[in-house]
Amino acid sequence: MTAEPVPAHIASIVRPSPPLWKYYVLRAIASTILFPVTLLLLYLRYHTMRYRFDAEGIHMRWGILLRREVMLNYSRIQDIQLRSNFVERWLGLARIEIQTASGSAGAQMTLEGLLNFVEVRDFLYSRMRGARHAIPAPVTTDSLAGVLSEVAQELRLVRQAIEERRRV
Amino acid sequence: MTGLSTDLDFQLSGLERWLLGLLSVPEAPEPPDGSPDSIQVFRAGRKYYLWSVLMWAAAITAVGFVFLSASIPLLAAIGRGSGWVEPLAGAALVALWSVFAGVAGVTFLSRRLNYGLRWYIVTDRSLRIRSGIFQINELTMTYSNIQEIRVTSGPLQQALGIADVEVQAAGGGGDRQHQSGHTGRFSGVSNANEIRDLIVDRLRHYRDSGLGEAAPSQAHGEGGELAAAREALEQARALRAAVTRSLQGS
Repeated sequence: MTAEPVPAHIASIVRPSPPLWKYYVLRAIASTILFPVTLLLLYLRYHTMRYRFDAEGIHMRWGILLRREVMLNYSRIQDIQLRSNFVERWLGLARIEIQTASGSAGAQMTLEGLLNFVEVRDFLYSRMRGARHAIPAPVTTDSLAGVLSEVAQELRLVRQAIEERRRV
Repeated sequence: MTGLSTDLDFQLSGLERWLLGLLSVPEAPEPPDGSPDSIQVFRAGRKYYLWSVLMWAAAITAVGFVFLSASIPLLAAIGRGSGWVEPLAGAALVALWSVFAGVAGVTFLSRRLNYGLRWYIVTDRSLRIRSGIFQINELTMTYSNIQEIRVTSGPLQQALGIADVEVQAAGGGGDRQHQSGHTGRFSGVSNANEIRDLIVDRLRHYRDSGLGEAAPSQAHGEGGELAAAREALEQARALRAAVTRSLQGS
């Protein structure tokens, strides 16, 4: 794996931004009778959530009693979803849901509370497998090998055409 | 809405524009990285709009029957009409059917916008699918991670000539109804086979795609010129042999 340095504006993300707390309060209100419990849980989640983007992957951890830490490699990312409901959009937020090839249907990691979510998504995309190193296109006429491959292909087609005609 | 590609047949009304502003729906998505001339943007077919309106009509009719059965006792109460019961039942009836009208209007509008605000972008390296109004999903997936492609259509969709193209990444779980993260869905496209062929064709260039074993590399990479030149020579010889045989045969 090429361990290129992470751009400064991505590496500097360590905490979710304050609008996430507002969103969590609204979510707690929406849970009506469970409000106190939900608010407490989300409060702890918000205040313990830490991100770290390093050269190989993303580290995310949260929780006090039930402490969780998730680490995933950029190259293992299968697909990236950018999701937002209208409340999140009002607050300028969106979730980045990252999937790996593990067996669960849900996202393996959900990055919440990022204001520059488009930049983060584009960064993650650029580190995904198959995003950077484009495989040679079928027709590359700007290199010797490409031209010769094309010649071979043309010749092959001619031969096939003649052989097919011979069979008829 | 200035967009990547706007459907000329689909004009947003003032009310819809206002609603999109209220929900702060972002503009059309940016295409993912890839060579600019390879970017192709697909939209849901016109028939998908018809299909979703029909689906809406079926759902709203079912809801209508529920409301109708709820309003029968209210009508009976008005019929019996004793003093204060009558206006109360009348008010309840009006409230009930206003809710119905509201639900019908909002769901119709969201169906309409859901059709208008979908983008399926395909580049030479990846694809990006954006859909939704209240909840917006924007999926980005590289070809390297695609495991399978599936084209599905129900009887009504077949009659209308539309289909869903599903692109599946590795990993799993989840029921098919609930859109899991591993699936990209080109819903209601009228040119499903064209899209499928395009993706299959582009996948072919990714020998390392999926989780399977990589195919042996061909005449690219180190010493590519020599290998390609040899291949050309080999083919030229084979051509000469074939032509010779063919001339002798005739």
